[in-house]
Amino acid sequence: MESFFVRYRNLLVLLVLLVAQIIGLAVQVRRTDQGRISLDRSDTSGVRLIRYWASSLVSPPERAVQSSKTGVGGLWQSYIDLRHVRQQNQDLEDTIDRLRLEQAALLEDARQGQRLQAILNFQQKYIYKTLPAQIIGASGSDQSRVFYLDKGKNDGIGRDMAVITAEGIVGKVRDVFPHSAQVLAINDQTSGAGVILETTRIRGILRGNAAGQPQIVGVLADQRIQPGEKVLTAGGDEIFPRGLSVGVVEKVIRDPDRDAFIDVIVKPAAHLDRLDEVLVITSTDSQFSSDQKQDLATSEALKSAEVAALSEQRKASAIMAERLPGLTDPNAPATAANPAKGATPGTGTPATPTPTTPTVPKVLPPQHPDRFTPGNAAQPETPSEAAPSRPVKPTATKAPETKAPGTKAHATGPPQSRTTQSKPQKKEGAADDTGQPSAKPSSTPATKPNTQPRRNP
Amino acid sequence: MSALTARSRRDLEIHRYPAPLYVLVPVIALVLQALLPRFMGRFALFDLPLVVTIYFALSRRSPVQGMFMGCLVGIFEDALTQHAIGINGIAKTVVGFLAASVGIRIDVENNAIRVMLNFVFSLLCSAIYLFIYHVLLGMNIEWSWVSELLKAVGNSIIALVLFPLLDRFQIRD
Repeated sequence: MESFFVRYRNLLVLLVLLVAQIIGLAVQVRRTDQGRISLDRSDTSGVRLIRYWASSLVSPPERAVQSSKTGVGGLWQSYIDLRHVRQQNQDLEDTIDRLRLEQAALLEDARQGQRLQAILNFQQKYIYKTLPAQIIGASGSDQSRVFYLDKGKNDGIGRDMAVITAEGIVGKVRDVFPHSAQVLAINDQTSGAGVILETTRIRGILRGNAAGQPQIVGVLADQRIQPGEKVLTAGGDEIFPRGLSVGVVEKVIRDPDRDAFIDVIVKPAAHLDRLDEVLVITSTDSQFSSDQKQDLATSEALKSAEVAALSEQRKASAIMAERLPGLTDPNAPATAANPAKGATPGTGTPATPTPTTPTVPKVLPPQHPDRFTPGNAAQPETPSEAAPSRPVKPTATKAPETKAPGTKAHATGPPQSRTTQSKPQKKEGAADDTGQPSAKPSSTPATKPNTQPRRNP
Repeated sequence: MSALTARSRRDLEIHRYPAPLYVLVPVIALVLQALLPRFMGRFALFDLPLVVTIYFALSRRSPVQGMFMGCLVGIFEDALTQHAIGINGIAKTVVGFLAASVGIRIDVENNAIRVMLNFVFSLLCSAIYLFIYHVLLGMNIEWSWVSELLKAVGNSIIALVLFPLLDRFQIRD
């Protein structure tokens, strides 16, 4: 019997296990009303216990896996991915740095372009020959305000050439090398430039002080010098052409060494501490641009046309004088048009020859002048008093002859010509004041007819 | 042929493993079987508890141990489903018994034999499962032999990888 169980142990165990499980299956299923077999939805306590064990066995590892998955995912997203994010961040920062550098370079290029454009515009308008240059260095010392240009002797730069910008003067070339030049700024203490104040026309010498400010020294104290006045180059130093802007007066201080003198601190027009591009005046010969040359040609043409018009007008006046002799004043002095008359009949004095003045037609005087006739207001009523009044007429008709040809006074006649003020008239007036009585009646006729209009016969 | 038909059981070596491995490996197989289909979906064509049952049955060459392992693994596998507990238990119990019985008679160190045995036992397990469901319980279930064949292939492939891995835990005398 014992040997049977030992011999068929495996099969017996298999049978027991299979039977036990089949019984267990049979417990779990039930036959429905329709005769079909289905699983019992309500598990028994034993089945539920087995399911609970299985769930308890599997759930913790699953939970651990899930949490680890979450942890791994979090680790991935928070750390491993952050490696890429950090790399991306680094790349972005590098990109930002590169873009900043490019932006700064572009900004600098734009500013340089604007400065060069301003210098180019100035150079085109400036009449002297200039050479643009770039500032490449400085002395590095506060006591030496010099800087170096990238152009030198090989480029045509020489000593004592003026260095300017579009805003104003900068300095002068102190030393020249083959490929560079040293420029002494106007705010250096050893520099000197002749300047003049624009309004007060006070001249002085511009040089720098210890603080690096340009100042005008050797100026006598003058109350007229006020801050804000423009300072220009005087042109006497043979370095800077006259009229260039230097700056404006910033303040006026007394000369500590000499009481009667003042020092004028000048705010330079050029930004001496921020210079990049400058112009070197290489020649003071006038270099007109095409526009300027065109303007000059236009001006010359207009001037010649005006001269031609004047000559034509003179010719026309001469021709009119010849063809209309009735308009010629018989009392007029002899001119080039009627030299045969020679003298004024009224006065008997010889006429002064005026060959340059053309003959101008005159309006004949009235044959019966009365007291309302212009120029005859002060004429006395009695015949005895009328005799001395005759010399007035030649005097009144003489005045228009001193006028310049072509003016309106020639066509208006004697009465109106007296109201026109000109230099020859003033000279004659002055002569009248010396004893000629004809000056007084010449100013009254314009008012008297207006005050007594009804007495006119 | 000597490998396939061993002359005596003394020529065959009984493999021994650390005690925790008998618990840990089936539990891991159950957990992975419950976990991986979530990620693999319909491509989860494998039965890890069955592969583990076959392995231990072949290695231990003890039908009783094979049956008990198959029974427990099958019951726990059933317990994780809504099906009746015992269907997989019966199938894996039979498979464990047969695997251990075959392991006594043939050399299972050969990988080709392992793959072939896994393929055959997988189909046998499926057949027993279907038999119990249809015959014993009289319930209808959708069944596809293609899926079962693919599952058998999948188990064979997994066995090809898993068996050498578990062999590393053998206790050498």
